[in-house]
Amino acid sequence: MYNQMSPVRTTSDLEEASSAPDNGLTSSQNRWGLLFVSPFFLLFAIFGLFPMVFSFILSFSDWNGRGAINFIGLDNINLLLQDRVFWQSMLNGIIIFLLYTPVQIILSLGLAVLLNSKRVRGFRLFRTIIFMPYITNMVAAGFVFQLLMNPRNGLFNQILAVLAISPVPWLDTPFTARISLVILVLWAWIGYHMVIMLAGLQTIPQDLNEAATVDGANSVQIFSSITIPLMRPVILFSLVLSTIGSFNLFTELVSLFPSTRGSGPLNSTITPGLYIFNQGFGNFRFGYASAVAFVYFIIVFLIMVVERRYFGREDT
Amino acid sequence: MSKLIKALLIGIMVLLLGSVVLAQDALSGTITLWGWSYDSMEKTGLIDAFKAKYPNVNVETVVYPAGDTYKNLQLACSAGQGAPDVVQLENSHLAGFVALDGCLADLTDHVKPILGDFNAYKWLDAERDGHYYAVPWDSGPVVLYYRQDIFEKAGLPTDSESVSKLVATWDDYLGVCKTIKEKTGHNCFANGRTTNDARLYEIMLWQQGLGYYNHDGQVTVDSPENVATLEKLAEFWSAGVTSEAQPWTDPWYAELGGAGDDTVTSLVEASWMGVFLKTWIAVDIPGKWGVAYMPAFAKGQTRAANDGGSTLAIPAESDNKDAAWAFINFMLASPENQITQFAFNDFLPALETTYTNAIFKEPDPFFGGQTPRSIYLDVAKHIPAATVYGPNYSLMNGHVATAIQRFASGELSAQAALTEAAETIRRETGLK
Repeated sequence: MYNQMSPVRTTSDLEEASSAPDNGLTSSQNRWGLLFVSPFFLLFAIFGLFPMVFSFILSFSDWNGRGAINFIGLDNINLLLQDRVFWQSMLNGIIIFLLYTPVQIILSLGLAVLLNSKRVRGFRLFRTIIFMPYITNMVAAGFVFQLLMNPRNGLFNQILAVLAISPVPWLDTPFTARISLVILVLWAWIGYHMVIMLAGLQTIPQDLNEAATVDGANSVQIFSSITIPLMRPVILFSLVLSTIGSFNLFTELVSLFPSTRGSGPLNSTITPGLYIFNQGFGNFRFGYASAVAFVYFIIVFLIMVVERRYFGREDT
Repeated sequence: MSKLIKALLIGIMVLLLGSVVLAQDALSGTITLWGWSYDSMEKTGLIDAFKAKYPNVNVETVVYPAGDTYKNLQLACSAGQGAPDVVQLENSHLAGFVALDGCLADLTDHVKPILGDFNAYKWLDAERDGHYYAVPWDSGPVVLYYRQDIFEKAGLPTDSESVSKLVATWDDYLGVCKTIKEKTGHNCFANGRTTNDARLYEIMLWQQGLGYYNHDGQVTVDSPENVATLEKLAEFWSAGVTSEAQPWTDPWYAELGGAGDDTVTSLVEASWMGVFLKTWIAVDIPGKWGVAYMPAFAKGQTRAANDGGSTLAIPAESDNKDAAWAFINFMLASPENQITQFAFNDFLPALETTYTNAIFKEPDPFFGGQTPRSIYLDVAKHIPAATVYGPNYSLMNGHVATAIQRFASGELSAQAALTEAAETIRRETGLK
């Protein structure tokens, strides 16, 4: 953009324009501005950029966390291609994502719409109750869910017994272990996503709904033709968070499946996030863990590009 | 002139005197301890006794659970700063840290004179190329814990000696398990198939002096002996005498400490488990558990194995190594002080010079008046040197546990599952 402030340029205007970026600030103001934003960049350089670069370098080594870094070329990638557990962890991420994300988005959007409607009383109370699990300590929650899912006399199986359904070995088979995990994740994260949806709903101008009502639209039509399209960016945001979240599950796993260090029965619940941690801090394979982290990053990045393409169209 | 010389002389004398005084009290400053078992030193007054002996040394305990201790030590060793002066390491994780070049201080000169005083097998993980990096604290002699009341209900003998004779081998044990299941309906022990952590399997390997690798550094995960051991364990699953409870979760505790019909009859585990039973897991059913020798793999073979057990080490960057060593020496190499700790928490000392103490013959009311400590003691003396733990233990245990789960859920045969695990371990560790 060029200076459009005044049609007649004075010499001082020209001097100003040549000596500083044309943002209406003097160079000394710019320096102050840089100073004010520098904490972020400094912290990012130390805690974000440096680890990323270092980890990238490590991914070509077999470093164990101590001593000289010995480079081994692409051996880590070769190992990774043959690594059953890593590919299992990627598959687990996808399965867990597919199991809970649709339910989560529908439930959190539904709850948000209910709470947003004027018919519901006690908006703040319900919002707090539904949000509460998110701020509950996950280790404690995991322990309580272990008790609830106790195959012998846990509450879940006792309820099933009342309904004359035979007991479910919640945490002991690959399939039920994933279902149990999904139940815990839904319980813990619905409130968080609901609040995001609620914030999104409150940005939808009320006059659109009123205009539609005047035109004779019923509430289902309003929901599907106004609410959903306008909520698309918010839903995308929730979806992206869930994608990253399901590949990075950690505390939930370690607290539900202590005997397998979070891997679950037959490695059915281990996620890439947990796998990277186990390789680095459990097995001291920091080089390999870094290589896994980069391959994993690229895969998740591609998944999110696809999500953006299908859910984040700018035209809506 | 002469005044100046005098002043100089006095100055030199003061300096000399000062250094003599310093030498007498050479140990000073603060030593920081990381770990989770220092209760036995704090609550028994041993730390105060140590401070009384070394008045210029201050001791600061930082309690971390095992996992956090390892993670923080790993970070401190990588960063080259932030390590404590003394750190608690379990034998299962010790060799991993010994293998991290320059992470732990070389204690060889200190340790050499007291080498013979400790259980020999405990040094295996502390040693690398003839150098020693840690001092054994407690041992984990494995025994058979059994429910006396359930044995009685099944018409079996209940005293320690008879049960030891009855359960002489794993085959005998299986027979006893079947009898009890038939007559009382109780499961024999918990050993989840899909959530197996390989712990009992490792105990069975240990008693035979086997492990995951041999002394030439070759991976033995798929050796005929290892496969046969896993198949022996599988006989218990197929006989339907095991429960599926995940260890260290609520159902598992309930099976060990509950009073109902669905409790388990026995447990093959190390002596520290007796402490856990007594103090929290089975605190409601005193007098019901008993202690006998674990079964031998085959008639006449060893009835001793190890599970767990800790050591103390000094990180290389500690700037107070002398005081740290004085601390370790005071706590672990002194029979009196080890016995003081043993009386507090029942963790069996690895220090064999304590074994003549009368405390080992004292009856324990929780175990119905039996003398379990005398059995722990006898087992500890006979634990073979096995290669279960080692620098790659965490990785090997992970792959073997998965192999056991795959075999137990019928996906693969024992041979196929262990072969695949062995190949993966060879590929990932570079061992042969």
